[in-house]
Amino acid sequence: MTDRILIARIGAPHGVKGEVRLFPFGEDPLALKHYALTDESGKRRFKVLSLRPAKDHFVARIDGIPDRTAAEALTNTDLFVPRDALPPAEDEETFYHADLMGLRVEDQAGTVIGKVLAMHDFGAGDVLEYTPVDGGKTLLLPFTKAAVPVVDVPGGRIVVVPDATPEEAPPDEADQG
Amino acid sequence: MSRAIWKGPFVDGYLLKKADTARASGRSDTIKIWSRRSTILPQFVGLTFGVYNGQKHVPVYVSEDMVGHKFGEFSPTRTYYGHAADKKSKRR
Repeated sequence: MTDRILIARIGAPHGVKGEVRLFPFGEDPLALKHYALTDESGKRRFKVLSLRPAKDHFVARIDGIPDRTAAEALTNTDLFVPRDALPPAEDEETFYHADLMGLRVEDQAGTVIGKVLAMHDFGAGDVLEYTPVDGGKTLLLPFTKAAVPVVDVPGGRIVVVPDATPEEAPPDEADQG
Repeated sequence: MSRAIWKGPFVDGYLLKKADTARASGRSDTIKIWSRRSTILPQFVGLTFGVYNGQKHVPVYVSEDMVGHKFGEFSPTRTYYGHAADKKSKRR
């Protein structure tokens, strides 16, 4: 579990009045106005005063940035938010990706078999990707109670039921594409 | 030109057999398939398929909304990891 989460990145200046392009990574870009943002070191604080959508980004006015010169100095600055500042998840079955990533992956016997790499949603349910301890290709599991019976974020571990489907060759008539 | 209606939706034969076997057994194992071109049929709802993306089988849980789409649409061949930010996942 990480203390601070990368939530947006400042791009190039926009206009001459100190506005900047902003590329949010979160689910609700407008929530950036309510967060106490910091840079990577955590020393410099930022407050988003206004935010409006543009083509593929947002245009933001940041407190203490009066002109284009000051805005230019912020180009490519990553904005972080403290993990504690995020609202609690809706229920006990909902988890922040940032909390899950990096957790130890154990099988039902308690043996460590890997580490959570990422969570995906390709439109057909959430998918957990983990890296095996012995290296090799990453493995994918559906994020269900059957495949992931235990999620222990404070304990830093999840328990999975590895896919027991035997390896098989594609059928002759199968589309290989 | 769209597909003629009289032909019905295209599904690879081996996939239909595998799905029927899985439904009959009542187990919730992932059904490994390679056919990205097959149409998702109503009888697949509730099953989990592992759809090959050229490297691995991506778990695809079939819901009602997915009927009529192709399996390949839910198993991208290029993965962009992006940033976790404040994204959330709900365990089914």
